[in-house]
Order: sequence, then structure tokens, then C-alpha cells
Amino acid sequence: MKVSLKWLQTYFDAPLPSSETIVDAYTFHVFEIEESLGDMLDVKVLPNRAADCLSHRGLAKELAAILDRPLKNDPIRDPLPEFQKTEALTVGIEDPKKCLRYIGALVKGVKIGSSPAWLKEALESVGQRPINNVVDATNYVMLNIGQPLHAFDAGKLTQKDGRYAISVRAAKADEKFTALSGEEFALNPNILLITDANAGNAIGIAGIKGGKAAEITADTTDLVIESANFDGTTVRRGAQALKLFTEASIRFQNRPSSELAAYGMRDVLELIKKIAGGEVAGIVDKYPTHSASNQEVSASLIKMNGVLGSDFSKKEVGDVFKRLGLETVIAGDTFVITPPFERTDLIIPEDLAEEVGRIIGYDRVPVAELMAIVGIPDQARFRGIERIKDQLVEQGFTEVSTQSFVPTGDVLLANPLDKNKPALRTSLEDNLNDALARAKRYAPLVLAPNQKPKLFEVGTVFPKEREFVELRMTERVPELSDIAGISDNLSIAELEDYGKDYVPKQYKLGAYKSFSVYPFIVRDIALWAPIGTEAPFIERIIHANAGEFLVQLDQFDRFEKEGKVSLAFRLIFQSTERTLTDDEINGIMVQVSGVLAKTGYEVR
Amino acid sequence: MNRPGRLHPISIAIREIADIFGKMGFGIAYGPELEDDWHNFTALNVPEDHPARDMQDTFWIKDQPGEVLRTHATSVTMRKLEEMAKAGATEMRMINPGKVFRNEATDITHEAQFYQLDGFAVGPTGTVTLAHLKGTFDRFYREYFGPNTKIRFRPSFFGFTEPSVEIDVWFEVPGRKGQWLETAGAGMLHPNVIKNAGLDPEGVQGFAFGGGLERLIMIKYGIPDVRLFHSGDIRFVYAFDGKPV
Repeated sequence: MKVSLKWLQTYFDAPLPSSETIVDAYTFHVFEIEESLGDMLDVKVLPNRAADCLSHRGLAKELAAILDRPLKNDPIRDPLPEFQKTEALTVGIEDPKKCLRYIGALVKGVKIGSSPAWLKEALESVGQRPINNVVDATNYVMLNIGQPLHAFDAGKLTQKDGRYAISVRAAKADEKFTALSGEEFALNPNILLITDANAGNAIGIAGIKGGKAAEITADTTDLVIESANFDGTTVRRGAQALKLFTEASIRFQNRPSSELAAYGMRDVLELIKKIAGGEVAGIVDKYPTHSASNQEVSASLIKMNGVLGSDFSKKEVGDVFKRLGLETVIAGDTFVITPPFERTDLIIPEDLAEEVGRIIGYDRVPVAELMAIVGIPDQARFRGIERIKDQLVEQGFTEVSTQSFVPTGDVLLANPLDKNKPALRTSLEDNLNDALARAKRYAPLVLAPNQKPKLFEVGTVFPKEREFVELRMTERVPELSDIAGISDNLSIAELEDYGKDYVPKQYKLGAYKSFSVYPFIVRDIALWAPIGTEAPFIERIIHANAGEFLVQLDQFDRFEKEGKVSLAFRLIFQSTERTLTDDEINGIMVQVSGVLAKTGYEVR
Repeated sequence: MNRPGRLHPISIAIREIADIFGKMGFGIAYGPELEDDWHNFTALNVPEDHPARDMQDTFWIKDQPGEVLRTHATSVTMRKLEEMAKAGATEMRMINPGKVFRNEATDITHEAQFYQLDGFAVGPTGTVTLAHLKGTFDRFYREYFGPNTKIRFRPSFFGFTEPSVEIDVWFEVPGRKGQWLETAGAGMLHPNVIKNAGLDPEGVQGFAFGGGLERLIMIKYGIPDVRLFHSGDIRFVYAFDGKPV
């Protein structure tokens, strides 16, 4: 939810603190801030608070509680006006479980134009595009208090006996819908529509998107305004089916209170009158299903401190609920809260503990050590697996980890990320063979000269019958007497006894050293030296003369003959920035050989 | 002379972490990667059609509705809690290191398959609180990252915990400015989760946590790209100087 600090300021008399202070206030007491850009904050409102905090009002209320300064006014605590009823608009609801409430208003004689500067600026400040005064008014009120709204052009609806008729019904199997954007959607009966009942056609997808059929244009003079509450599951499934997630659908899927619709209607009618003129002919409020009204929640001080591990006083806790504006009755040690209609998230005592913890601040939760347990923690199976790994490493094996997704297998993904790898591996074999082929190419870089790579992997595989943890090696290991072949099913292996008293080897690793993606060049050099010549001495000479591309140097052969010693070295050259050429490496080798010869060795 | 073999950095990290948690009484638990909806979502208080499901992009299995690749190893926690209920136990501490899957585009910090260090501690009411979560992570990070490490909690939301927090770690690389890094989500197990396991939420309570394991390793050793881990490339395994402790 993008919010504007200027917009939030309208909720407070005294100037708000700096943007940094506000970012910290949100971050440490309620929501993560995804982006802070000048006047705009992008607040990550999570599902439990989406019913009330996808709005400037909700976020201002939070800020008021965190900073402990009162809201100047709270639009959803202000009393509602008596709306004038009208006979000129009727509303029918086919399924009251899917449309909990529908308030329709008929407004006549508006003048469509562009919005006043303050409104355009407000919308633009949170990344919205101003369209016209009426549409902007509906968006503004939604962003302000969280109630999605829609305006239809009444002139494009059919009147019967002097009445407009809205019907909220399921889409028909073959019904199509053209959205405001012009995009066409094929519907299904799980999708709920707003229709012109006199004509039968769809004018909106309930809680998701308005339709082209009743679009507000420059010629519009009469409006039907909708402030409704649609079932969260219906809206969510519809948005998923149509792949159409909108500001409205995101709010409805989080089940805001049906009470909010009346406040939305009040505010949008007021704003339209102010900026587009016209007269409200009246409203119709079909309210077949009230959202479950919030029940009392109670929690004792002991309970809340018992969840948090804290030692907050009764006064501190009482203060939190006061700052949050929660109606509280204190009975002895127990706080009884009646949440306001918009706080649909406060249900169990732990919810109250969370309010206390986050508003006072989790930095005030102490650090406590768990009590010692009786007995030894059960790591036997883990240790059994690690014991096998240690044996393999001892035998010169290198452990690799490969991807679980492969081109073919018995278990297929319904929604693969990579269309070329839609299956789960049935064995580690192919991946390990592929890793081995690459390991052979890279062996000179990481292994000793002429050392053959040997790999193993422990990973879950998914044959048709049942997944299991496979151990697979690239070759048989005679030293592992329990494993006859090159693979084993560790899921059925009895590893507990084998592991229970084993202590897996620990390693201390140095910082990661990135490796080059460019090819490397291998050169060998052999020379005769006097007996007693130490290899490191020669290695120092090579290092000093081979230049910056020498990435590895190994002695790989040594024998004595006729009073001399033959030493052979392998040099590996690689650049981190480009592919080296044979010519330049030949040049370096000539240089190295030259220096060694000059030092008195006979280069072979 | 041949060089000795090598363990993958994930194995090395899990051993170190298992040792630290072992000292605090945690065992190690395993569970299936191909999970049912119940253990991955519903039992964890993330009901069908709830927007909380959007927090974890899920791989579903073809022709097997209700089967998923686990999106977190918290599914293992659920299975262990069920075992506790069957055994009539009131206390258990486990870490569940294992591979999890998220249907997200991959980049240097995102992989569709990665390891999670998930875990939980439950005990009789009053013995395992949010303060104990703080104490457990304070010790874990100081032992794993070094004595200058600090932790902090920020409010968050997960269906399976209430209250829920994010755990940040203050990490200093020698010669560079320290910074706060987000490392795990955690919180007190939601009473519905305890109930769904068949345990009595009035009698037991506890905390649960989970975070990317590769991320911890990347922070500790300065690894720039998460995609290196499961590439099957031995150059990655050898990209560290390693010596036995």
C-alpha cells in the first residue's frame, strides 16, 4: 500500500516527524516499509491487517498509536448521516453469501471534468493516474478509508417504469465481459457480476473490475454509485481465474467489515457533490448478511506476559489498548477488549499479546534461555547420514547438490517454473552424471594433477511409489561395506544406531573466493635439478615469473636418476575477465623456462 | 598426491548449526518434500482461499490435487507436533533443515528450491515464550556468526504463529560497515496449530521459526549468488579454504 506523508498529515494537527522516524515507527511496531521515496512510503500490509490497513486512515491510526498522539478525526468513528432513500433504483442480490451488502446511490446532474489540483496530486503521490472527477473521487475514498467503490453511468443503464435496476448475480457459462480497459474476459458461473437487471447485461465484475458498458465519460450526467461488500473467497477465486488482481479485489479478498460500506458511500457522495456537483436522488441499502460482528476478546496480564516472556505492568498494557483506541474494560487482572468493526484480526488472547508486544516494542522483550532438557536431543539419524558422508569424503569424494527439477519423471508439476523441467527427479543418477562430466572438465582447477573426480549426493528423489532420500556415488566404494552398489535408499536404512554416538566432523571455512567463468589453460613443466632441491623453492621461482593469470601450481611428479632429481609441475592459467590465448600463455612459459634455465635447472 | 574430498557448504553449515542447537536441547527432524495440503497449509492455520497463501508461491502436483512441494519445512514441525500428541508428550525441540520449494523467478537472491532452517520448541505453558525465542536466536547467531552479532525482532504475520516476528541479525564483516539483515520469520505457535496437532493449547505453548539456510551461509562467507548452491558445480564446493576443526 502506497501512502503519502502529506495525506497522512491530514489526520494530525501537529506536524508529523521526519520520514525516517515514520519509517522506523512502522518498521518496528507494525509493518515493513518496502520503499521510501520522498513523500511516498510503500507499506507492506500483511494479510492479517489488510482488512483495515489498506487505507490512509488505517495507517494513520497505527501511527497515532505508535507515536502516541491522537488522530485529529477518525472518519469511521464519525456518526453516519441518515441517507435519503430512493425508489428510482432497485438492487437485487441473488446469493447473500456472495454479496453481503450492496449500497447503491443515484446521483443526478453531475458535471464530469478533471479533478481539482489537490485531488490529482493526492492520487499521483501514491502512484495513481487521475481520470476524471467522479472516478477520482471513488479512488480517493478507497485509498483513504479502504472501501472499494464504483461509479456507473446511469445514462447507459436501462430504465423500466422510471427505475434503474442493479442485480448482483453469478455469470452464465458462456457470458463475456468487456472491462473498462477494453480487455475481454470469458466468464464462468463462479464469477459474480454486477448487472443492469432491466437489460440483463453485465456492467461490472463484482469486487474486481468495472465494465465498458457503463463507463463514465465526458457526457455522463447521472450516476449509480456502488459501495458494497463482496465475499472474500468469491472475489479471490474470480481474480485468480481471470488473472485480474485489482485494488478492489485485493481489499475484498481480505474481508473488510461490511459496516465500512456505509462510510464509503457517505464520503464518496460528499466528495462528488463538492467536485462534480449534482444532487443525490437517494440510496438503496441491501444488507442481507452482516459480517460476523467482532466478539469480545479477553486476556489476563499473566497470559499476555506469559506469551511474550515479558514483565509488562498493568498500566503499560492498558496504555497500549488506549493508544490503539480499543474499547477496554479491566476486570481485576483481565483486559476485556471489544474490537471496533474494522479490526477483524483481534480474535484470541494471543492477538492482544501481539498488540502489546509490538506497540511497546519487541526490543523490550527480554532475552531468556530455554531450560535444560532431560536427556540427549535426538540427532541420531542426522549423525548416521553425516557419518556416511564423512566416510565418503575420507575416500576422496566430493559432495554436490543438484536441482530437483528434471525434464522427465513420474511426478509432474502442475505449474512448472521452467517448462523444460516439469518433473521431479526419480533418481540422482542423471544429475550426478552431468555433474561428473563437468567436474572432469574443472578437475585441474580444484583437484591435484591427474586426480579423478569422485562425487556423491544425498537428496530426495521421487519415483512413482514414494519419495525417498537417495545416496548416490559416481563409483562404488569398497570401503563402505554396507552399500553394495553405487546408491542406497537412506529412508529405509537403519541409521539411528549407526549415528547415535558419532560426532560429525566440523570444518572451518574461509571466505568465499569467486571462480572465473572463463576457460583455463593447463601447461606442464619438468626439469632436472640437483638432488636435495626442494619443490617449494622452484615453485617460488615459477610464481614470481608466471604472472597474474597463474591460478594454480602443483608439483605432480618426482623421481631421481643418475644423481639428479626430476620434478614436474602443472601450471593452470585463467583470467577472471576474458579468455586467455595459447599464444600469450606460450610466451609466459618461455619466460618461466628461461628463468629456470638461467637459475641452473635443466628444463626438459 | 590426491586432494581429500569435500563436503558441500550446506552440510558443513548444518553440522555447525546442529551442534549449536544441540547444546540448547534441539534434535533434528525430517519430513517429506512432497507434502499434503494439511501439513503444509491447512493445519498450519493457512486455510484454503486465504490471502495468506499468496505469501508463498506454491508448486502444485499434476493430477494430484492437494499435493504440493512443501513451501516451508514448517510442515515437518506439524508432523512432529502430531507425533507429540500421539505420544502424550508436552515437550519437544527440533530443527528441521531441508529443501523447500517456491514458484518464484530466480535471481542472485532467489532460488525456486532452497534449504530452510526451520524449527520449533514447545513445552508446558509458560516455559517457552517469545523471550526464549529471542534467547535461542541470540545464542545461535552469536555462536554461528561471531560474538559481535546482535539480533532484533520486527512485527510480522504468519498464519501459524501469533505473535509473529521477523528476526534480523546485525552482522559485521571485518573492514566493512555492519548491517542489519533479515534472516528468519518466527513467532509463538498459533493455538489453532497446537489444536490441529491434537495438543492442548491450554497446556502447551512454544515458538517456531524458519529462514533460508543458504542466506545464512551467503552472509557468513560472502557468497554473491544463491544459484551456485545447487548447481552441481564442484568449483563452488572448492571455493572456500577449508580445514577440519
